[in-house]
Amino acid sequence: MTSASFEQHHVDLDSGRVFYLKGGEGPPILHLHPAGGPRVTPAMAALARRHSFYIPTTPGFNGTATHPKVSSMADLADLAARFARTVIGGPCDVVAESFGGWTALWLAVRHPDLVGQLVLQAPAGLRTTGGLPADPAERLRKLYAVPERAPKETRSQEVLAENRRLYGRYTGGITLDETLQQALPRIAARTLLVFGTLDEVCPIETARRLMAGIPQSHLTYIDGAAHVPEYDQPERVARLVGAFLERGEGFLVRRADAA
Amino acid sequence: MRFSFFHLMPWTELEEAPPQWPVSNRHFDPERGKQLYDAYLDTMVFAEACGFDWVGCNEHHFSPYGLMANCNLIGAVLAQRTRSIRLAMLGNLIPLLNPIRVAEEYAMLDVMSGGRLIAGMIRGVPHEYIAYNVDPDESRGRLREAAALIVKAWTEPEPFGWEGEFYQFPSVSIWPKPLQKPHPPILMSASNEESAEFAGRHRAMMGMTLIADLGIAKRCIDVYRAAARAHGLEPTPGHILLGYNTCIAESDAEARAHLSEGLRYFHRVLMHSIRDAQRLVIQKSRFFEKEHGERFVNRLVTLKERSIDEMIEAGSVLCGSPESVVKQMRRIRDELGNGHFNINMKIGNISDAVVRRGMELFRDRVLPQAREL
Repeated sequence: MTSASFEQHHVDLDSGRVFYLKGGEGPPILHLHPAGGPRVTPAMAALARRHSFYIPTTPGFNGTATHPKVSSMADLADLAARFARTVIGGPCDVVAESFGGWTALWLAVRHPDLVGQLVLQAPAGLRTTGGLPADPAERLRKLYAVPERAPKETRSQEVLAENRRLYGRYTGGITLDETLQQALPRIAARTLLVFGTLDEVCPIETARRLMAGIPQSHLTYIDGAAHVPEYDQPERVARLVGAFLERGEGFLVRRADAA
Repeated sequence: MRFSFFHLMPWTELEEAPPQWPVSNRHFDPERGKQLYDAYLDTMVFAEACGFDWVGCNEHHFSPYGLMANCNLIGAVLAQRTRSIRLAMLGNLIPLLNPIRVAEEYAMLDVMSGGRLIAGMIRGVPHEYIAYNVDPDESRGRLREAAALIVKAWTEPEPFGWEGEFYQFPSVSIWPKPLQKPHPPILMSASNEESAEFAGRHRAMMGMTLIADLGIAKRCIDVYRAAARAHGLEPTPGHILLGYNTCIAESDAEARAHLSEGLRYFHRVLMHSIRDAQRLVIQKSRFFEKEHGERFVNRLVTLKERSIDEMIEAGSVLCGSPESVVKQMRRIRDELGNGHFNINMKIGNISDAVVRRGMELFRDRVLPQAREL
């Protein structure tokens, strides 16, 4: 399956219009995108053979309109909850990357009834070091361990600059969300934490905070991946995340016939 | 200068060269095997009293060349029978093994010995890949990934999973963890330029053995140093360990005679079938880049065909009276800048009595001069 099977939709919620990509077949997954914006990664394309993906665009990203009443990470979590209830119809598994992981954590804290299993890939919001440099070449090097697998950028510089500005607006310019950290023990969802062994953007301190805070959490390193394992090592990510989503805690038990 | 006493634990009882590899084990007599293990362990324990800083051993399979299929078992015995000498596992052939098991066994050794482990992470010689049925083409990739996984298992405070090319583990949390922090020192082989770059890139100590030419050895050390510096380690002489077949006796003539006899058994019997197996792997795989494979084979041939005098001149062995050996060490140190010699005295079937006398001479007449090198 390729990204061609994903189609653009939109829904009008009480705070404003939300655009989203939908594709795949099977149990629904709410996917919360990173600061780079929504896209269908090779790992997601593989997982879409057995799951339906719903990928809402954060208001304001990629040239969409902002929602005047949505201005914080908690607001984004509430918006994701409204999206899940309205579009997906209720509880679902959640897969999120980096910036989207921050939203997903707040979603799991504020709306535990909506989150089935949670997969967080290098989630932002719980770090004191790391981050992305301004220089584009250096950014690319920090994001990808296998740069030739990185997606080709087709958006304008203006759109990318606005995405970055909105990232600052929603996050309030902080890198360590201490309120969220204190709330982690309230997360009921079984959580898989996915980190690249070479990730310098979201250092391992984040994983340790999450492991210490979330009662049912599993940490897995993707060897040979930096901040975006979905592109660096798509087969490994798809194999791991697929097993977790389909078998829950049973993903720990090796099965010769597992996908 | 620091010194390691290294032992291969060879089988010394063969009359004839085995016709092929692997060597038929019908020649192995367990009763004699027990005697050899006892004698060899006594010798290795004695190294501590002789002033050696490390006692070292390694892993080989399917051959009378060495009786340590798992050198960690020997390390466990040494942990109990010694007090201060460091235990150098040189090392586990980690591409062939379960890396989690290696992390656990090394951690056990480190804790049991009170933090004395030197953790060798070695790719191994080519024919070992036949023994454990691992694709030699994967040796470098497996070495890299296994080393990273072992370090992660030692240092990660929370349970973790691993998704790699060669290894997948859903949940890892080893007990015990090593005593040394952040983890035991790691040593990797650097016997060719490719390996030297790899060891430097991993900021490990480098080990080199079977030196046939000081110029080639120097190039490997230069490559190691450059790679280490590029990755944040300023290597000291102590990071550079050179392995030497060594025979120390009362006189130069006596030492030459013993070494000559021991090398005859080593090359004629112990190495005979191994050379064929190594050639096979080198020819049929990408274990080495082409030029390194040819050099590896040529180096073995060169070492086999040289006289003792030629080997001394080439800096390939340490052999002679204590005073001669100190001179030879000084020359090598001046040329290569190493801070560590790894000394193997049990060469072929040299008797244990000769080895023990050599160790006493090392203690009494070499070490007092060589320590300050």
